[in-house]
Amino acid sequence: MTAIEINKKLIENFGDDIIKTVKAYENELYLEIKPDRIRELSGYINHEMGYPLVSMFANDETSLIGKYAVYYAFADRVSGILLILKIGIEPEQMTFESIAGKVHAAARYEREIKDLFGLNPVGHPNAKRLVFHGNWPRETFPLRKAYDLKHRPDFAKEKINFSKVISAGVFEIPVGPVHAGIIEPGHFRFSVAGEPIINLEAQLYFVHKGIEKLCEGESLEKCLFVAERISGDESFTNAYAYCQAIEKIAGLKIPERAEYIRVVFAELERLTSHLGDLGGICTDVAYGFAASQFKMMRGWAYGIADELCGMRFLRGVNRLGGVRKDFVAGKEASLIRQLKKIRSEFEETEVIIKANSFFIDRVENTGILSAQIAADLNAVGPPARAAGIRSDVRKSFPNRVYRQLSFAIPEHHNGDVNCRMNVKIEECYQAIDLMLAAIDSMPAGRIRESITTVAPYQFAFGMTEAPRGENIHWVMTGENNTIFRYKIRTPSFCNWPALCHAVKGNLVPDFPLINKSFNLSYAGNDL
Amino acid sequence: MFNTIKKIIKYPNLTQNYPRKALLSLPKTGKTVIDMKKCTGCGECLGRCPSQAIVRDAQTKVLGINLDTCVFCTLCEEICPSGAIAMTNQFELAEEKRTALRSSTLVIAEDQEIVMPYEAICAELVKRIRKTFGRSLNIREVDAGSCNGCDYEINAMNNPFNDVERLGMHFVASPRHADMLLVTGTATRNMQLALIKTYNATPDPKLVVAVGACACSGGIFRDSYATSNGIDNIVPVDVYIPGCPPRPQAIIYGILKAIEKL
Repeated sequence: MTAIEINKKLIENFGDDIIKTVKAYENELYLEIKPDRIRELSGYINHEMGYPLVSMFANDETSLIGKYAVYYAFADRVSGILLILKIGIEPEQMTFESIAGKVHAAARYEREIKDLFGLNPVGHPNAKRLVFHGNWPRETFPLRKAYDLKHRPDFAKEKINFSKVISAGVFEIPVGPVHAGIIEPGHFRFSVAGEPIINLEAQLYFVHKGIEKLCEGESLEKCLFVAERISGDESFTNAYAYCQAIEKIAGLKIPERAEYIRVVFAELERLTSHLGDLGGICTDVAYGFAASQFKMMRGWAYGIADELCGMRFLRGVNRLGGVRKDFVAGKEASLIRQLKKIRSEFEETEVIIKANSFFIDRVENTGILSAQIAADLNAVGPPARAAGIRSDVRKSFPNRVYRQLSFAIPEHHNGDVNCRMNVKIEECYQAIDLMLAAIDSMPAGRIRESITTVAPYQFAFGMTEAPRGENIHWVMTGENNTIFRYKIRTPSFCNWPALCHAVKGNLVPDFPLINKSFNLSYAGNDL
Repeated sequence: MFNTIKKIIKYPNLTQNYPRKALLSLPKTGKTVIDMKKCTGCGECLGRCPSQAIVRDAQTKVLGINLDTCVFCTLCEEICPSGAIAMTNQFELAEEKRTALRSSTLVIAEDQEIVMPYEAICAELVKRIRKTFGRSLNIREVDAGSCNGCDYEINAMNNPFNDVERLGMHFVASPRHADMLLVTGTATRNMQLALIKTYNATPDPKLVVAVGACACSGGIFRDSYATSNGIDNIVPVDVYIPGCPPRPQAIIYGILKAIEKL
């Protein structure tokens, strides 16, 4: 369906409710609608048209239109179109209708908006605080423009209540925020009856740094470096999504060679990340030999990154309008040799681990995420693909290079640790093959265009397939090449609630394994 | 099983002999140096440095870099019109005093937290620790609000290439078992209490090492409503390891510096 057809269909059904339609760029369709009709419209789009809610955010536009605005982004993953509903909220009113009852994926976004903007979702099934812990005073709404970035409010003392499971023999296990392993902080509250987990509530946002607020009013260039530091091992893909958004606003088509170089780095990042996950899965079932194999290969992948750009985490590669240097030129032969070495080692290691029945026994049927829950919560990336949902930004919103290169989305349906592992194994091969193909067909030429000025108050989405899944950034520019609003939605934000469902019924000692197979970023969620 | 043994024989030892021997291939993004002879004073780097790590002395007009704030993005090297700025491959940058990481000719007086009385206490502590720990060191890692980059590099210290257990360093699961806290991140507001509790749970004598630009100074995330400008606002720090993120060998160097075995 094209954007025009989607618009026509919505006007046929909801003609009276749509105030304004704007088609921005190739694939973004913005509809401003009446605030009291959002529930019906979003329900129709989600259920009848089958478009998942991929991002939702508020924006303080009181200085522009005298209102707050809430945006609901739905994705047509078949034809690659984003359909965005926008409602305006009067500053006297400060409430909006919750759609969480109809569109389940909206629940966490609405709680986030409530915390950061003080806009109340009316009718939300459980609107407890999400971003702010008990130490934040109520009435702290940092993303309102009137809030001073540097203002650090006094510490409050409010008790956070977790969902309680009450029955004979049910007890709670609190874990975190400082964990036993070398990982990020988060608090997990398990309700268990003996070994099996009945309920898991994850309290996150321990590493909330206020990134979205930090970017407001800053130069476009500085925000690129902030984007690289959203989530440690997703530096490249986050910067990539940010650059895409700005380039879209500037109306710039980056040179083909730059696009190819970006694809090489994006796939290198995926390979590195997946090798780490596979090593982690092996560590968590105490399979030391295989873990060392994967860590060794990961070390090699870091070596490639170091050789190409001097940064193990691929920071400082992207720039607005292309890439900083021609990182690949002259290094093709060495790159191909190292990738082939990883590939053959990976093949042999895969044979070894799959022949180990003790190992397969631990991962098979552990931590099953059902396809229905995955769809309802808009789970993305390898966990969704392992549950039978075929979503991949590289296929649904491809850039020129991915359109030319041939690759297939891995198909698995059981949704357990084994399937997630297999998706990652297949994607490792795919990443290597894509890199080899990209190096092979990379045209010569320029590696960047320059962006001098960007028009104020323009907005666009940037989308990439991060190692963890669909990554969506929305940028609205301000005066003098600054950022007015930067909404970051990383794949981890969508997958955290899915993880909490996947562990139900499993044993507590299997939680680290299930957690590792999802490999979610805390920093990417907490921002 | 045969395949497993084959692999074990094929890769008997991957571990680099750092720090006994220098690294064979040095990284390309280490400390940044400014050649003041070439500098024209245009101020391009000052305005565009994403973490405002480059500073100019008001009187002498000399430029300097605060390594505790630098995120090693290499932008200054790229944009300097006179080519006065260059990245070196020097990565062993850890220092015991934050002032040592900052350009001496600069306005340091603004950062009051550097001259706090705990410095004196720490100096005494370090003396005792050398006596106490002997050759083995138990480390507890605390992520107090990083992007996870530093944590990945700390993880990489345990990979086959670095294998820090050979140096007598051991990562433990609880602060109760630890001699040293390796802290990453800016100490976000939501992690401050957890960091203090972890610090208090670690038995004396203890060392605290700040890993990465965020832990040293707040890095690119400082001055936000939800962060603090470096973990030394919350707990005393013995060694600062700059970098964004510092590579595993740089962290090893910092830890060794902390126990004064170098």
